[in-house]
Amino acid sequence: MTWVEFSYLIPIIPFIAFLIVAFFGNKMKEGGAPVTIAAVASTFVLSVLVLFDVYQNGSYETSMNWIGGTGLEVGIFIDNLTALMLIVVTFVSLMVSIYSLGYMHDDPCKRRYYAEIALFVGSMLGLILANNFLLMFIFWELVGVCSYLLIGFWYQKPAAASAAKKAFLVTRIGDVLFLTGIAMLYVKFGTLNFVELEHLMGHDVQGLLLPALLLFAGAVGKSAQFPLHVWLPNAMEGPTTVSALIHAATMVKAGIYLVARSYFILEHVPDAFLIIAIIGGITALMAATMALVQYDIKGVLAYSTISQLGYMMLALGAGAHAFGYTAGMFHLMNHAFFKALLFLAAGSVIHAVGSNDMRKMGGLHKHMKITSITMLIGSLSIAGFPFMSGFFSKDEVLSSVWHAAADNNIYYVLYAMGVITAFLTAFYMFRLWYMTFSGEQRDKSYHPHESPKTMTIPLMLLAILAAGAGFSFFFGFQDFIYFGHAPHVTIVHMFEMWQTWLSIAAGLGGIGLATLVYYKGSISPSVFTAGPGRRAVRHMLEMKYWMDEVYMAIAEKGVYGFSLLMDKFDRKVVDGAINGISSGGIGLGHASNEFDKGVIDGTVNGLSKASFKGGKLLWNLQSGRVQDYASVMILGVCGLIVLMMLTGVI
Amino acid sequence: MAIADLPLLTITLLIPVIGTLFVFFMKNEDNAKKLALIFSLIPLGMSILIWSLFEIGGGYQFMESHTWIESIGISYTVAIDGLSLPMLFLTTLLIPLSIVFAWDTKKRQKEFFGLLLMIEVGLIGVFVSLDFFLFYIFWELVLIPMYFFIGIWGGPRKHYAAIKFFIFTHVGSVIMLLAIFALYFESADMLGYATFNMMDIATVSPNFSVAFQGAAFLALLFGFAVKMPAVPVHTWLPDAHVEAPTAGSVILAGVMLKMGGYGLFRVGITMLPDGALEYYWVMAALGVVGMIYGALICLAQVDLKKMIAYSSISHMGFVLLGASTLNLIGVAGGIYQMFSHGIVTAVLFMMCGVIHHKTGTRDIPKLQGLITKMPQASFILIVGFLASLGLPGLNGFVSELMVFVGAYEAYSILIVVPLITLAIGAAYYIWTMQRILMGDFNKKLGNVTDLEKYELIPLAILVVFIVFLGFYPNPLLDVIYPAAEAVLGGVVI
Repeated sequence: MTWVEFSYLIPIIPFIAFLIVAFFGNKMKEGGAPVTIAAVASTFVLSVLVLFDVYQNGSYETSMNWIGGTGLEVGIFIDNLTALMLIVVTFVSLMVSIYSLGYMHDDPCKRRYYAEIALFVGSMLGLILANNFLLMFIFWELVGVCSYLLIGFWYQKPAAASAAKKAFLVTRIGDVLFLTGIAMLYVKFGTLNFVELEHLMGHDVQGLLLPALLLFAGAVGKSAQFPLHVWLPNAMEGPTTVSALIHAATMVKAGIYLVARSYFILEHVPDAFLIIAIIGGITALMAATMALVQYDIKGVLAYSTISQLGYMMLALGAGAHAFGYTAGMFHLMNHAFFKALLFLAAGSVIHAVGSNDMRKMGGLHKHMKITSITMLIGSLSIAGFPFMSGFFSKDEVLSSVWHAAADNNIYYVLYAMGVITAFLTAFYMFRLWYMTFSGEQRDKSYHPHESPKTMTIPLMLLAILAAGAGFSFFFGFQDFIYFGHAPHVTIVHMFEMWQTWLSIAAGLGGIGLATLVYYKGSISPSVFTAGPGRRAVRHMLEMKYWMDEVYMAIAEKGVYGFSLLMDKFDRKVVDGAINGISSGGIGLGHASNEFDKGVIDGTVNGLSKASFKGGKLLWNLQSGRVQDYASVMILGVCGLIVLMMLTGVI
Repeated sequence: MAIADLPLLTITLLIPVIGTLFVFFMKNEDNAKKLALIFSLIPLGMSILIWSLFEIGGGYQFMESHTWIESIGISYTVAIDGLSLPMLFLTTLLIPLSIVFAWDTKKRQKEFFGLLLMIEVGLIGVFVSLDFFLFYIFWELVLIPMYFFIGIWGGPRKHYAAIKFFIFTHVGSVIMLLAIFALYFESADMLGYATFNMMDIATVSPNFSVAFQGAAFLALLFGFAVKMPAVPVHTWLPDAHVEAPTAGSVILAGVMLKMGGYGLFRVGITMLPDGALEYYWVMAALGVVGMIYGALICLAQVDLKKMIAYSSISHMGFVLLGASTLNLIGVAGGIYQMFSHGIVTAVLFMMCGVIHHKTGTRDIPKLQGLITKMPQASFILIVGFLASLGLPGLNGFVSELMVFVGAYEAYSILIVVPLITLAIGAAYYIWTMQRILMGDFNKKLGNVTDLEKYELIPLAILVVFIVFLGFYPNPLLDVIYPAAEAVLGGVVI
């Protein structure tokens, strides 16, 4: 007996918790929170056991037929990648659900919250465990719905309702393309099973570019990559715990996971790798620039998430030879820890301040030391401070891009973009930390206090991982998560490379500049707006490159405007034609002087002329008497019989 | 004697006939609904019994054939196969649910519930008949009660809507009838005897000349397209729905539209394979235009019920697209879509009825924040919307996926055009949800209460179907697949 045989319980337990909380949560403590937390905790334990099993015995698959006759199946596939994702997702989910005890304590709709969280966790785990693209897509959509429901959790707020809609619709565009890609693979290979597809790939690699890119389009929507990133900043309208869990640590990683999972397809289409890397690079840099001008503490973290997701995509786009797979997944894991930490710490701040606006904060360090220090650790980690987890994974990402440049010069440009992003990341994170915790409290209207233990303990646990998880790379990670053959990087080797020193310089440079501007005050923030050119750049960043405006114009003026036009066309032209035909009937009607009730009767009569060849019968019909109608039918039948007799059939 | 030897289909057909008469002529008006419910539950029981006895892949079963008017080859022939069984079940399911849903109808109850049973007679008849003469009688029989239904219990423009509905569908029927006669005469030459028996005609009709098959197919397609309905002969549908009482809309969209699709598979493609091959592109064009056009118009609607009516046009486009692929998965997907749309649209129209009933309006801009007052109703509406927009795990997804896979096989990358519908479909549903469910409750709507028990029960049953079939479509697909094979039996690509 092995633990993987029980892996089907991993998604099922949260689903059962969902049902229990949904139906009986109101009668339980904290709206059913203990049920959800216990369920998530047990999935974490199971995931750890599964990880050991996979480590010892290799991958595992089980499946059963789902839609008869189509080869579509329901099943579980667990390999190293799956096991890693399971650990990351269940751990972060556990931290967030414990933290929620404090954060959501005063919310009147706790039952709905914990039910939806359980549903989300189950769906997310299902997505990870799926053994084929279709099943993955099913859960992919389910997590999308959970995201929709949780962004709109405070549905009375118009901004939340509208953000939920936006998230659903923007990701839907990616989903439709993803589904097209799935249909193409199915028609081409007759299966969607990962293992079977991988075997078939060896024989037929023609025409894979389009399906590969369509799969990637799904990832672009889900993982908020340019140009479909616009939904993620608005998604922050949901509770901060939701932002931490769904929109930073887990669901948005589904796109990254999809690309990693599709590596066996992508390796046959090198062009796809390049496109993935370019999209990732643009996303990373663009989002980092937008994070610079945010005053909303969650807004900074949202753009930062987009940027870091771009980083992962960039690494995956570096390709199999350059160990982009290992680097990207390593960054995914570290990012899950430090970004969940940052969001939860921000939630702790918001809990104390009652606002997201950093301009009202400042000087919070003395009031909430645990939050402040854990957030500092998270910031150092994401900024790439040496030996923190973010340092190692960022370095691996950049190093894989550099390796890929040996085959294609475009990767040099992407490498430069990555280094600039690293600098910007360090800067905006420390801008955030200083504005929040250092100096004097700018708005004195509230009395900050440290959050309860249910919130600070998850922060501390996450902080340990955000600081230390990076070393795992040299103690097993790189030999466990790889595609093709494992990289063999040592710490010593890392520091022999000038690229490592460059990325350290970028990170420290960013931290240093932020310190000068927002801590020491030796450089005034107004330098960023000195002169019309700088003001224009700043305005462009504040307007988010006007992408929301462009999409709104397409949606409102384009699609909705067109639909109004079509509606008018339907009423005036299509239906009008019918009424026009009936006008002819009116003329005939006048002749017999029997029907004169205008268009309505005209409609009837005009068309009925054609079918009955006589207005009189119809007049009777309109009277609504069944026997009249029956007599028409009988007459018709009689006529037919006569006709048949005449033609000699009978 | 075994149960299977009983004339099960005739019994299923006769019980609502008797029910109609009883309900019409009973003395106590208030008991009409109870009697009607009993008489509609028996056919439901019968169709479950038939399903349990049904042999998967066994072709036509439970056949009864009796000569009726021998001289012109008319017989009473009824049977059931994998194509008609889901439709029979859908009919016998939706009728009792509509009766329960309409429990508080006050106006002319005897006629209301009697006519519902009469509609059931016509619908069952259409789905079990294997004789064209019988088929046509039932086909027309459905129209009459529905005409009265809209005309008596309808909204302000009920007379216009009822007459428009009647004329449109009747013109479609007449053209279909012409095609049936053409088949009758043409087959008489080949068979050596004249018959309206569909199975007999089907043995020779694939051998008809391509030109003849093409012409007959187009005539049939016109008749069925009106019924489904396809753009541009769809304008009767929104009017009929807007005016019809909820039970009428449920049956109209839930089952009556499927008569068109059923006819297309049963008569059009099965009997005239060369005609279908010749004009598959007409079906594809009608289907895709209907899908996108219907979806776009949904976006513009202010009246919730009209939006759902147009969404039916969009979703029935999937049936046409599936049929046009002429491959197994596409056709099976089209058949499945008829069933799943029947279930989902019933939920949506019922919810429309609930909202109108409770708030007094169906205007989307006037409705706001209903979640706060009607959590149960909102939950069901969300499930219905998500099923309708094709969310995986709910039944709408299965058929849409199958149709798209079939369409990809047939048309390759061109399927991105109909795929746009999925995005627009999400847009109008999600946007509507935002507008009517979320936000602060609109206080002008007054004292709004959640679902009554007689509303909740039918809705809950349908939701169970939506979720169950979304996760486990096999019971239905196992029945449909062999039927789709039979439909394509004569099609040689």
